[in-house]
Amino acid sequence: MSKIVIGYSEIIKKTDLGRGNFIMEIAPFSKARNIKPGQFVHIRLPDTNVFFRRAFSIYDYSPEQKTIKIIFKVFGRGTKLLAGLHRGDRLDVLGPLGNGFRLPGRRETVILVAGGIGMPPIYLLAKILTEKGFDQKRLLYFYGGATRDDLVELKKIRQLGVRVYPATEDGSLGFRGLITGALVDVIDSRQGKFRMYACGPEGMLRAVDELAGKMGIPGQLSLEAPMPCGIGICLGCIKPLRVGGYTRICREGPVYEIGEVIL
Amino acid sequence: MSVDLSVEIAGVRLSNPILTASGTCGYGEELAELYDLSHLGGIVTKSITISPREGHPPPRTTETSAGMLNAIGLANVGVDRFITEKLAFLEKFRTVVVVNVAGAKLQEYVDICARLADCPRADMVELNFSCPNVEAGMEIAKSASLAEAAVREIKRVFPRPVIAKLSPNVTDITEIARACEAGGAGALALINTLVGMAVDIESRRPRLTNNTGGLSGPAIKPVALNMVHQVYNTVKIPVIGIGGIVNWQDAVEFFLCGATAVQVGTGLFVEPDAPLKIVRGLKKYLSDKKLNRVTELIGKVRKY
Ligand SMILES: Cc1cc2nc3c(=O)[nH]c(=O)nc-3n(C[C@H](O)[C@H](O)[C@H](O)COP(=O)(O)OP(=O)(O)OC[C@H]3O[C@@H](n4cnc5c(N)ncnc54)[C@H](O)[C@@H]3O)c2cc1C
Ligand SMILES: Cc1cc2nc3c(=O)[nH]c(=O)nc-3n(C[C@H](O)[C@H](O)[C@H](O)COP(=O)(O)O)c2cc1C
Ligand code: FES
Repeated sequence: MSKIVIGYSEIIKKTDLGRGNFIMEIAPFSKARNIKPGQFVHIRLPDTNVFFRRAFSIYDYSPEQKTIKIIFKVFGRGTKLLAGLHRGDRLDVLGPLGNGFRLPGRRETVILVAGGIGMPPIYLLAKILTEKGFDQKRLLYFYGGATRDDLVELKKIRQLGVRVYPATEDGSLGFRGLITGALVDVIDSRQGKFRMYACGPEGMLRAVDELAGKMGIPGQLSLEAPMPCGIGICLGCIKPLRVGGYTRICREGPVYEIGEVIL
Repeated sequence: MSVDLSVEIAGVRLSNPILTASGTCGYGEELAELYDLSHLGGIVTKSITISPREGHPPPRTTETSAGMLNAIGLANVGVDRFITEKLAFLEKFRTVVVVNVAGAKLQEYVDICARLADCPRADMVELNFSCPNVEAGMEIAKSASLAEAAVREIKRVFPRPVIAKLSPNVTDITEIARACEAGGAGALALINTLVGMAVDIESRRPRLTNNTGGLSGPAIKPVALNMVHQVYNTVKIPVIGIGGIVNWQDAVEFFLCGATAVQVGTGLFVEPDAPLKIVRGLKKYLSDKKLNRVTELIGKVRKY
């Protein structure tokens, strides 16, 4: 049997989080048992003139209820249409796609870096780690945005019992400035073996990649690219690799080792 | 009543007339994770060249109204790896394998086809005379005499059927079609993508690093249908229709306009299982219309 499914699901819940952000719960999703943090779904908006599917990271899931959740921000045509849909509307969902994060070792201090709408896969990773009994005190969750309202679902993150370090560019919550600034301060004040995971806008990922490289911290980044197919057949979603050649973000990624891809 | 979906192209029997189009199904590996490729009438593999190619830098695809623009730039693994890895993988499926070939000059096409001659799994070759993203192919695509000579040369080294894939970016596609037929092509496939452009109004730059790209998807279906119909009325060899097919209704339109088989391209990106759905829809349509064979539809469009 295929590990991926294509099929109709229904929106069973939609919540407006403000500033154009929404959480959507979708069911049934028959592969909800096999999801790994970092994986995504490719959603088609049926009966619209938005042609390609749109990719969204899986934010949470329930194997029992066969549901998945995504968080998205209204960005362009597709996400605007998605935001206008209601409970009971149908979506065509393909997934779970891509490779998930490789989990850290028990003795490592885990630095999670979520920028804006890059938050969902990082949250799911933190959740899975705590469920697996990973020491919450060694899960440092950095969450950055332009302003405090961009930091959606903060309460849910805090409920995991991990250490949360918010950063906002306008200083309305936590560290004032870019998330990498907050990161350096905290790492400098701690000792031990670190592992870093990040997802967010490309500029942030580039900065994290560089910083981790300089500090010799291993880890992984979850990347984005416009994705026509999501399964590796169109060769559209590529990025250059440091060793030369291109990689398909949807298929070989979206998760890569720090330093592997030229951002 | 069971309906017969099988068709014959240049002596090769296809269990159904739905193929996947070159460049939109890779070498079959990814789709095989979703369903058994034996359900396809045939698979047309990504254009291969003599040496591997990385293709153009990103962005190389962009969404347009009812379709997309692409300038992949013929990224492929090259003929050697194609034969040892990709063709070997396709061994296990009961579907017709059409190997699409591209080159910078005629000699490159000939060299690749000569290599494929020794690979029985390469049931047919399809000559990409039409890729708008590399310079060479277009020359052959636009010249009747070059196209005829090219098919003739390739026929000399490749013992099985040769399909010529035509470009819509020409003044008269029927002229090229006739030339390919005269050169000995077993069938014609059309159309490849139309040259197009899209611009980002913020940066004022084209949306593709190659500046232009090939337009495909539902947006090009009417153009493709007309060209298939024109060529069907011009040549005796079978015509394979391509362009914007995403569902069974689209496929039926192509059969009525003269296509013996069709290829699904961009549609696969949105619905990777579209060919299976088309086969199901086609069966139902034929039995609803009390027709026994899909071939009964070919060219049966009623003109005003
Ligand atoms: C792996 C992955 C995970 C993601 N996870 C999330 C998430 O959890 N939450 C979230 O909010 N966003 C996520 N995104 C981003 C999300 O997919 C984009 O916000 C969305 O595609 C934008 O679509 P739109 O229709 O709103 O924008 P549009 O304005 O329609 O699209 C933006 C531009 O990109 C082009 N485009 C759109 N899709 C494609 C495509 N597939 N190929 C080529 N060009 C395209 C459009 O033509 C347009 O020019 C993720 C993206 C990826 C790749
Ligand atoms: C991303 C992409 C890559 C393609 N690559 C090739 C190719 O390598 N060789 C070829 O002959 N045609 C190629 N094509 C053209 C398709 O095979 C087909 O002729 C065209 O897309 C029109 O059909 P469609 O509208 O169903 O996509 C490509 C098309 C797309 C969209
Ligand atoms: S989106 Fe098509 S190859 Fe990745």
